[in-house]
Amino acid sequence: MLLEVRDLHVEFHTRDGVARAVNGVSYGVDAGETLAVLGESGSGKSVTAQAVMGILDVPPGRITGGEVVFQGRDLLKLKEDERRRVRGAEMAMIFQDALSSLNPVLSVGDQLGEMFTVHRGMSRKDARAKAIELMDRVRIPAARERVRQYPHQFSGGMRQRIMIAMALALEPALIIADEPTTALDVTVQAQVMELLAELQREYRMGLILITHDLGVVADVADRIAVMYAGRIVESAPVHDIYKAPAHPYTRGLLESIPRLDQKGQELYAIKGLPPNLMNIPPGCAFHPRCPLARDVCRTDEPPLYEVSSTRGSACHFWRECLDG
Amino acid sequence: MPDGRHEPEQAIAGTSMGGTMDLGVDEAETLEQRPDGAGGPGPEGKPRSLWSDAWRDLRRNPVFIISALVILFLVFISLWPSAITSGSPLKCDLSKAQQGSQSGHPFGFDGQGCDVYTRTVYGARTSVAVGVLATLGVAVLGSVLGALAGFFGGVGDSVLSRITDVFFAIPVVLGGLVLLSVITSNTVWPVIGFIVLLGWPQLSRIARGSVITAKQNDYVQAARALGASNSRLVLRHIAPNAIAPVIVVATIALGTYIALEATLSYLGVGLKPPSVSWGIDISAASPYIRNAPHALLWPSGALAITVLAFIMLGDAVRDALDPKLR
Repeated sequence: MLLEVRDLHVEFHTRDGVARAVNGVSYGVDAGETLAVLGESGSGKSVTAQAVMGILDVPPGRITGGEVVFQGRDLLKLKEDERRRVRGAEMAMIFQDALSSLNPVLSVGDQLGEMFTVHRGMSRKDARAKAIELMDRVRIPAARERVRQYPHQFSGGMRQRIMIAMALALEPALIIADEPTTALDVTVQAQVMELLAELQREYRMGLILITHDLGVVADVADRIAVMYAGRIVESAPVHDIYKAPAHPYTRGLLESIPRLDQKGQELYAIKGLPPNLMNIPPGCAFHPRCPLARDVCRTDEPPLYEVSSTRGSACHFWRECLDG
Repeated sequence: MPDGRHEPEQAIAGTSMGGTMDLGVDEAETLEQRPDGAGGPGPEGKPRSLWSDAWRDLRRNPVFIISALVILFLVFISLWPSAITSGSPLKCDLSKAQQGSQSGHPFGFDGQGCDVYTRTVYGARTSVAVGVLATLGVAVLGSVLGALAGFFGGVGDSVLSRITDVFFAIPVVLGGLVLLSVITSNTVWPVIGFIVLLGWPQLSRIARGSVITAKQNDYVQAARALGASNSRLVLRHIAPNAIAPVIVVATIALGTYIALEATLSYLGVGLKPPSVSWGIDISAASPYIRNAPHALLWPSGALAITVLAFIMLGDAVRDALDPKLR
């Protein structure tokens, strides 16, 4: 395994109390593999990624347990200085909104070049040449002229390509993409996703794709981990999940995708709201919204049951769910 | 060049710069080239920094050129006042008191019969020294402390915030009367020191606020995720984005510091005659405004032009540091 997250716990200490954002998440990615992490806002998917990257705001955030083993080392045990060297060089992150993720006062060439001057100690001139090469690589037209332009002079799709180029610059082994296409037009989404998937194959990188867009996932992911209230509720190869979900929450997510053959009917929505992280329901966190919930769900927290050798579901009644 | 898997409509990356450009829908909208972009220096394009870009902009900005020339002139006459006047500001002849403009004395004479032109020229030194040095001191001390507090937060931030609260509670004029009245030195230094002491909290509060705002930007998080160190985050990503309000407030403050020196001098705790300053002259001339308005007009005009020049300079610099305005 390239990256293995084991039993990660993250809390946020706020004035109103302790929000338990991540409660025992475990997942892994191999080189060349794409893991999609699915979940609603507040399910802990981004927080997990920030903890893996080591960019969690501490305080108020705090990692209270678990391991993040990357290339054989537990990153949580490294000193901040060593971790910083891992970031960017060995693992990199792509953010949701490329306009706000690029510094408005630095030209894109400077920002791309910075990767090489900081991590590789290159001269500014060499770094500039590398920046142009990277812009070519992510297919930004007229890279030579545009290298000196500022982020606001690029369109949304182009900016996201620049973010991708920055993340790829040092050919990291792992990329975490936090909703990389959410802020883009649908047509551009497909282009950017395709580019990312293609570069991932080319460099044999591990990719963690954080998203709530099930359409994106089906095309590019190898495995899916579905998160709810800071836990993984289902983890499976992508085709298994689309064929037959083994958790009622996953089923709900799949059913909420609008479909052409349902035109005129009301859209399906999972009833209720995601739980308050300061006050997660006892037992299975999903039980107040679950159509299959019974008494045991209110008292016993389900472990991640083994559905098959490659698949797990944290539902007491996964068999029932699987059978539909 | 990457692999050969380009989509046809996108297979233009890396073509020579003069080549025809085929653009997808997505990229067409933003391909306005900056006028200097295409004809830039050489195909490699020299790497430019934020500051060199800003400087290139400033050189073409008439507001900057005019204000910079005025300021250079002021600095010049502060250093070498004898270059443009042969008289002495202290050579006064009471028999000529309040007389108007005459040959060799273009600005006329003040209430003490001193030559207003010479006194206005010599007064620049005090005003420029107080304005520039006090602003520098305030800006450096205030923005460094404020930026550190804003970036690191925590206990240091709380302590600094309470200290600034204490300083804000000190009335400037009263504080000046109390602190400066015990100092006998008749130089600009006690005045500058006093202004820095009371002025830094204002800038530190502004710097802290804008650093906190800039710190929360996604690109700071993104830079951290790509391995930038704290010092790099502050210097490259936070400071350039947080500096604009500091520059604006500092240049406006510069004017008020020059006026504050005048106020303190008027109250007799700033500079005292025989020192020469616009503030002293303005307060000395104000009782005679009906009989000898020229004696008030010239030093006040000089003060106004100086303050305006610095504010315009600050404005131009701020605009140059914002690429979106280019």
